[in-house]
Amino acid sequence: MGSIELVCPAGSPAMLRAAVEAGADSVYCGLRDDTNARNFPGLNFSPAELSDSVKWAHDRGAKVLLAVNTFARAGASDRWRASIDAAAGTGADAVIVADLGVLAHARDAWPDLRLHLSVQAAAGSPEAIAFYARAYGVRRVVLPRVLSVEEIAALMREIEVETEAFVYGGLCVMAEGRCALSSYATGRSPNLDGVCSPPEAVTYTEEEGGMVSRLGGLALDRYASGEPAGYPTLCKGRFAVDGALSYLFEDPVSLNAMSVLAALRRAGVTAVKVEGRQRGKAYVARVAAAFRAAIDALDAGEDIARFEPLLADLAEGGRQTSGAYRKTWR
Amino acid sequence: MHRDGWRGRDGSRHVGRDMAAGALMLMRHPVEFLLSRALHRIAVRRPDVFERLGPWREAAIVVAPSDFPVCFRLRPDGVHGTVRVIRHDDPTPSAARVTGALATLLALFDGDGDADAAFFSRRVRIAGDTAAVVAMHNTLEAADLSLADILGVGFRLRGPVNRGLGRLRRRMARS
Repeated sequence: MGSIELVCPAGSPAMLRAAVEAGADSVYCGLRDDTNARNFPGLNFSPAELSDSVKWAHDRGAKVLLAVNTFARAGASDRWRASIDAAAGTGADAVIVADLGVLAHARDAWPDLRLHLSVQAAAGSPEAIAFYARAYGVRRVVLPRVLSVEEIAALMREIEVETEAFVYGGLCVMAEGRCALSSYATGRSPNLDGVCSPPEAVTYTEEEGGMVSRLGGLALDRYASGEPAGYPTLCKGRFAVDGALSYLFEDPVSLNAMSVLAALRRAGVTAVKVEGRQRGKAYVARVAAAFRAAIDALDAGEDIARFEPLLADLAEGGRQTSGAYRKTWR
Repeated sequence: MHRDGWRGRDGSRHVGRDMAAGALMLMRHPVEFLLSRALHRIAVRRPDVFERLGPWREAAIVVAPSDFPVCFRLRPDGVHGTVRVIRHDDPTPSAARVTGALATLLALFDGDGDADAAFFSRRVRIAGDTAAVVAMHNTLEAADLSLADILGVGFRLRGPVNRGLGRLRRRMARS
């Protein structure tokens, strides 16, 4: 492992193997239910697959982190507790949790289980992070994707736990864990059901003027022939306001923070994270290899600009951004 | 249901290609037997693969290579699954349809290509039940199949067949 831990996504055991073979230090994944934020059809791990994958990864010096990062629902919290118990039983290296009740269960039932605070918890202040560390023994915080590099550096001077920052993949415009747009359109949300824009509510139709994407019957966008497309989420819908079309909330664009990797390392960030458990082997192999090479080059004192364009063709909408890290948009 | 005919690069329909589709339809029975048998072999060898499909294992998905004379109608129902060769304008209802260049679709089958990137760049189009397509994509990703599995090639020939088909696919992608 280099100076920064590289944490990559896996939606299946095959994707986990691809991530580790491409250079990931750690891989995060979820079980096949609504206790994690990528609850899509056919995705994720059975408890047996998780157990086998943990053994496989440990044999190669890699860690496995289990995301149990949705919010437990009243009357159904047994499932969230069971996911924590499954992680502990399989020897996973940590669980990534957002819900206070789930954190409390993990703390009480498995005192040796490492706790990482999910980005869904949106803990971005020293006080909030100190509370999670003191009350639940959280060892690492996944930072909300709304902080600039300078804000992260300032935060790092005031906290005593590890931090993990997203560096590649999809972006959410809303305060983490508090988006209601998917619920509004479909009745299911990323926060409670683990699925933003559930695919059964998504349609694509070829119409006059191009392909129209809809969510729960609501038109999101019309893409002209050959125009790059984005994910079918309301936050990335293109709307007509005063006769002009624009992306009101967020452009369809992927985060690529390769250009601030050195700054994140200087700030003291422990780990960098790649989004995209729903993508696949080809995606994770390429992204992990690019960031592995960049981290190794940084550690060797080399310039990493040559790695920045390597992932452009994987980006949503065909475009990349450094997101809030530079905050040129404020 | 989404339909689009097989068209030439200039967007026109070619008589020669219609004839090619006709010829392939005449030969479809042995092809369907070969592809369906390959599907059954996967089901016997890897029953876990089909568990991931959940309620979509009986969903019919049309795989429509835009640069190939015919399409394939897949019902991935394990040992009961079928693969049928159909024309691009076949009216039989299906749950969903996936359209793209043959090389792109083959890259998605064996996990060599990224499906989201293919969708973003409009190299792949989907229509119908999006959940069925997502379930199929995630199942294929997890299955870790190779191109030789499409043809049901035995263990000893898998290496050379995969290398040959891989080279062919890359050549098609470049052309």
